Amino acid sequence: MISIRRRTLGALAALLLAGTIISPSFAQDAPVQGGTLIYLEQQAHTNLYPPAGGFYPNGGVLNQITDKLTYQNPQTLEIEPWLAESWEVNDTATEYTFKLRPGITFSDGTPLDAKAVAVNYDTFGLGNKELKYPVSEVINNYDHAEVVDDLTFKFHFKHPSPGFLQGTAVIGSGIVSPATLALPYDELGDATKIVGSGPFVVESETLGKELNLKVREDYNWGPLKFEHQGRAYLDGIKYLITPEDSVRIGGLLSGQADIIRQIQAYDEPQVNDAGFEIFAPNTRGVNNSIAFRPDNPLVADLKVRQALTLATNRQEIVDTLFSANYPVATSVISQHAAGYVDESAKLVFDQDKAKALFAEAGWTPGADGILEKAGQKLDLTVYVSLPQPQNEGVLQLVAQQWAQVGVKLNVLAGDAGSRTLDQLDPLKTPVTVAMVGRADPDVIKSGFYPKNRDWLLQKGGSSDKVQTFVDDKLNGLLEGLASETDRAKRLAIAGEIQGYVLDQAYIIPFFEEPQAFATAPYVHGLGFEAVGRPSFYNVWLTR
Amino acid sequence: MSRYIVGRVGQALLVLWIAFTASFLLLQALPGDAILIKFQNPELGLGPEQIAALRDAYGVDSPLWQQYLQALGNFLTGNFGYSVVGSVPVSHELLTNLPATARLASLGFTLAVLIALGLAFLSTLAPLAWLRTAIQSIPSLFVSLPVFWLGIMLIQIFSFRLKWISVINPGEFEGLILPVITLAIPISAPLAQILIRNIDEVSTQPFVAVARAKGASPSWVLWRHVVKNALLPTLTIAGILFGELLAGAVITETVFGLNGIGGLTERSVRFQDTSVIQAIVVFSALSFVAVNLIVDLLYPVFDPRLRRLKGAPA
Repeated sequence: MISIRRRTLGALAALLLAGTIISPSFAQDAPVQGGTLIYLEQQAHTNLYPPAGGFYPNGGVLNQITDKLTYQNPQTLEIEPWLAESWEVNDTATEYTFKLRPGITFSDGTPLDAKAVAVNYDTFGLGNKELKYPVSEVINNYDHAEVVDDLTFKFHFKHPSPGFLQGTAVIGSGIVSPATLALPYDELGDATKIVGSGPFVVESETLGKELNLKVREDYNWGPLKFEHQGRAYLDGIKYLITPEDSVRIGGLLSGQADIIRQIQAYDEPQVNDAGFEIFAPNTRGVNNSIAFRPDNPLVADLKVRQALTLATNRQEIVDTLFSANYPVATSVISQHAAGYVDESAKLVFDQDKAKALFAEAGWTPGADGILEKAGQKLDLTVYVSLPQPQNEGVLQLVAQQWAQVGVKLNVLAGDAGSRTLDQLDPLKTPVTVAMVGRADPDVIKSGFYPKNRDWLLQKGGSSDKVQTFVDDKLNGLLEGLASETDRAKRLAIAGEIQGYVLDQAYIIPFFEEPQAFATAPYVHGLGFEAVGRPSFYNVWLTR
Repeated sequence: MSRYIVGRVGQALLVLWIAFTASFLLLQALPGDAILIKFQNPELGLGPEQIAALRDAYGVDSPLWQQYLQALGNFLTGNFGYSVVGSVPVSHELLTNLPATARLASLGFTLAVLIALGLAFLSTLAPLAWLRTAIQSIPSLFVSLPVFWLGIMLIQIFSFRLKWISVINPGEFEGLILPVITLAIPISAPLAQILIRNIDEVSTQPFVAVARAKGASPSWVLWRHVVKNALLPTLTIAGILFGELLAGAVITETVFGLNGIGGLTERSVRFQDTSVIQAIVVFSALSFVAVNLIVDLLYPVFDPRLRRLKGAPA
């Protein structure tokens, strides 16, 4: 109390000394309109086809210039109305009927009506071979859209698709004008060609360097439950591509920029010390992990995978390389993800137990200390994943930890072509980096299902180099997850999969991956959608 | 003379075709391709069937000769295709990035020449021996500075600490100051070294002694007699350094977040964006050939002896 009073008195004295009297201001609470936000982004956006929004630089742009049918509340993860004011789902989750809010237009003046939405979802759900549009990862079992009237439309699915409602809220489901989708896919890297209905509009762009958005004055269809309606507070946003970490941070701290994306954990203290704020929204999906490819004989034995899990000191990884913004993983998915079950008991660090398991599985240390069995060494390879934070450091540390129990892990950077090809060959990459963000249990299927990302590489999946490995039980559970319409049952399946995947030691989750941003103290109202893409609609400046 | 130029242009076209073909073959020999790298990327989350359909749509699995003829045909008709990574026409990428790099490189080169000339003059004319030695060792220092480090240091000192120059969202001229210095310093070093050595060499020639004996001042001798003769080898090196200039631009552009051919090349190579790389290779070959042609044509301007030789038989 005393110290507070003293400080207040001191401040008053300072004001009097300065000869100015400032009336108590509540400017902090009332948003101010105006100003352009300078945003330093590490990488240039690539293709702005909405389903390509999974790439962070793309999502960071799309989230400002497009709106979605629904809004997923990042706190409750509930689906709330946005462009669609209401919806109905049939019992089998094969028909979704949406009703749009009236009067919504794209920035080129054309109406955002049922017809426009149908064009979008038919493209997202089915792709377009002629124009080379790929399908969207989040839409499963899509059949077609039916326009009922100007504002009403119905989506039909071949099989139950219970994750679809959440799929309408994700970053990859922004609605663009049908004119945009009439262009070839190969031209959508030009932001000026992306016409959406969002609170900001692309004004100009210098490819690979700079992107300018300006506010849309007549915007009046933000998520219905937002307190703030009408136009965004900012007049504009200037994205500047600044690949160098030190330049982004220096630019922010020296007052040349307002917000930056991608701060490494080791840079956090200098940002905090300068009184700037760090935001590290959770990406709520499958944690930052490594997964095994059991088709490779070296990791085909469950005991070996369990031993490698026991030999991994995840706490050390977080303590050495990261900060409090990177919590140690306690399951396959983030503790903030829907359907999360605490499985930390299956993820303990115990080198002695690991060694015992290797011995049980018939692996004995050779002359060089590396484990051997039938003349073969336990020598594994993994490729660094560039988008993941400090991934090379993480993998090198794991390599050191595994070396202590006699396992060699080669960490490769490699060129993009070799990496992509080797990743499809379980013999070349018995271990792979795994991570995906999405706030719906479907995210687990995205990672493991052979027709999706196929982390484990199963026969009949993404690679023709796989000899035998298939896990029908896992696939059955994943299919159940994607089609179970009862929410409680669906979450139960999600829990069962987490337990099963860890029992099989298919994956070693390291930490919950955030997206780190830092802002200047005068930036207010920064929001994030459910997987950590920034939203600038509510941002205002007191510069 | 015109016959000479026609010959050189023919030679240049041959060089361009070889560059195009060689880069095409080399890119094909690399593991994977741009379409695979792009669509197999986990961030898109595409399944195997979807990727196969896209590969088919792009025709990346058709026979090599077919792809080559198509690429060559497109090039000859001025259609450079699409950048797979950037998802824009390659011509759009080139139009955005070429002028930026041309400006950075030409300003960087000009400044490098000025620095080299300044160092050479100072090292010859400085009054004290130890000062001359000190100045002569500057190029060795400059050439050993990594461009990357130099750029970051300049930014940290002049932008973030002293706050003299803004690097984030600067004015057009302001934004060029630090990158041009960053690019010029390492390039100036070999130019200065060669110039200094040639000045030393030419200074020992008898005609210089004669000029001195006639009572010319040291700076007059240097400017009127020595430099003219010392410039020729330097010019040759300058043509070769052009390549280095582009290489330096890659790093400078990345550090300063500028757009340009450098950054575009780096990205395209990383993702094997074939059509962009081919356009850049052909463009670079073209400018390399052009610069060296200009250098060749400049020799007679600086050396009257060459002028007489070329003119005589015609």
